[in-house]
Amino acid sequence: MGLSRRVAMIGAGMTRFHHRIHADKTSRELLVEAAVEAEGSVDRDFRIRDVEALFIGNFSSDAFEKQAHTASLAVDWLGLAPRPSTRVEDACASSGVALNMGAMAIASGAYNVVLVAGVEKMRTLSTEEVTDTLAMAADAIYEVGAGFTFPGLYAAIANAHFSRHGSSWEELAAVSIKNHGNGKLNPKAHFQQDIMETARSLGERKGMTFRDELEFLRSQLNPVIAYPLRLFDCCPISDGAAAVILASEEVARRYTDTPVHLRGFGQASDSMALHDREDLTSLRATTLAASQAYRMAGLNAEDIDVADVHDCFTIAEVLATEDLGFFPKGEGGKAAVEGRTSLKGDKPVNPDGGLKAKGHPVGATGAAMAYEIFNQLRGEAGEHQVADAEVGLVHNVGASGATVAVQIFGR
Amino acid sequence: MAEFTSKSFSDYLREKRIRGTECRDCGAVHLPPRPLCPNCSSRELDWVDLGSEGVIKSFTVIYVPLTRMQGRSPYTVGVVRLDDGPSISGLILDVGSEDEVTVGSRVKAEFISEGDRVSLCFRLI
Repeated sequence: MGLSRRVAMIGAGMTRFHHRIHADKTSRELLVEAAVEAEGSVDRDFRIRDVEALFIGNFSSDAFEKQAHTASLAVDWLGLAPRPSTRVEDACASSGVALNMGAMAIASGAYNVVLVAGVEKMRTLSTEEVTDTLAMAADAIYEVGAGFTFPGLYAAIANAHFSRHGSSWEELAAVSIKNHGNGKLNPKAHFQQDIMETARSLGERKGMTFRDELEFLRSQLNPVIAYPLRLFDCCPISDGAAAVILASEEVARRYTDTPVHLRGFGQASDSMALHDREDLTSLRATTLAASQAYRMAGLNAEDIDVADVHDCFTIAEVLATEDLGFFPKGEGGKAAVEGRTSLKGDKPVNPDGGLKAKGHPVGATGAAMAYEIFNQLRGEAGEHQVADAEVGLVHNVGASGATVAVQIFGR
Repeated sequence: MAEFTSKSFSDYLREKRIRGTECRDCGAVHLPPRPLCPNCSSRELDWVDLGSEGVIKSFTVIYVPLTRMQGRSPYTVGVVRLDDGPSISGLILDVGSEDEVTVGSRVKAEFISEGDRVSLCFRLI
């Protein structure tokens, strides 16, 4: 499988992800902000009106804002009507899948320039209501009906992984510590404090002091959400939007001398319910989507210099780094403990802080990952730049692994 | 014959029966029942009765619950593999701590009614 026309990313933008600063904005304003920044990031002669079609990832503005038909709203508020605009909903993988669809739309010859964006405005609801809404991405009758929350599903994955591989919560903590450290270096991240700074500021209020990260993470200030996952194993609830501009290779040259080439992509599905999977310790859809992308790119896991993977929970990053082939099964957590996935490690993962620290406005996440890889491969990622990054991978998961989209980009 | 729906599944639970579907073409057994075999796409299916005992494949103890379950946390929910083959999710009754349960614990089904709803739950044995 290959593309009949090659596709490149020529621009990318995103709002900061945050729980409070966007309180007075709705999805439409967040989308416009991200798209306008993407427009401005294109090196020359680009106007948003050059976009011929839009693919908009959005999980549930229906529940969060009582607003459906998000793609129509996007094209209207970007002044791009009557161009076609399509909403893609695949839970947390919405804009990762939208990116694949945008690429295919260009590869087919239908369009030369496509805007792929994603948005979620989540902080309209209470934490309890958000928990209910996110649970809609799982099997409503047979998983949520049984009492599972969304963190609960990943917690069950974690316990299965611990039991099978002898892995531990301390390994999950290493992922959290690493991602918060990276978030500190990313001005777009929701959390821009490392864990020790967080421990100090939260501890001060309670009159508590902590020797190190693990002492804080084991304390009552880091309560269990769904055993074994604690608060700092879970991504926060954030508002935000992200947008990238794709173009056919020949048209891309008009706008930039340094396009970021889409080398390969993949998408795969698994059973909706966790209980229908033979193996709970691996996301089969990740393995399959990645192998499609590797094959299309003519690359393998060793060739990836930087990866943005779907760490909605710390255990999800462990699974991702194993299922993408970076580390053997059962050793993803150990790799995090050893610093191999840190900014200066041999396999940097989530240099932007990941969903854990950067935030996870559900529908915006896939596009925000592509934004990060766009900047990494152009050497424009600032303080969290990975040295000499030439090949980058994006890994976006829907719910507990029923949908996975992967892209591989090259300089 | 009852249609292969979640309604039928629930009606059987009310009779304290765990009924799934079995594919006449490939032999796969599905729980809950399916209108089409997810293994081979066959529409040739029969109801099959499944035994009530099984083993916990994985679990979690929920401390931040769904709004529907507020006031009942911490509670435990698990993925249970029945001895007859298929797996399903369910509450593990009267387990309020991770110290009381483990992957591999054996359980037996209980049928819990709440209003007009019947849930397939499990208890440690």
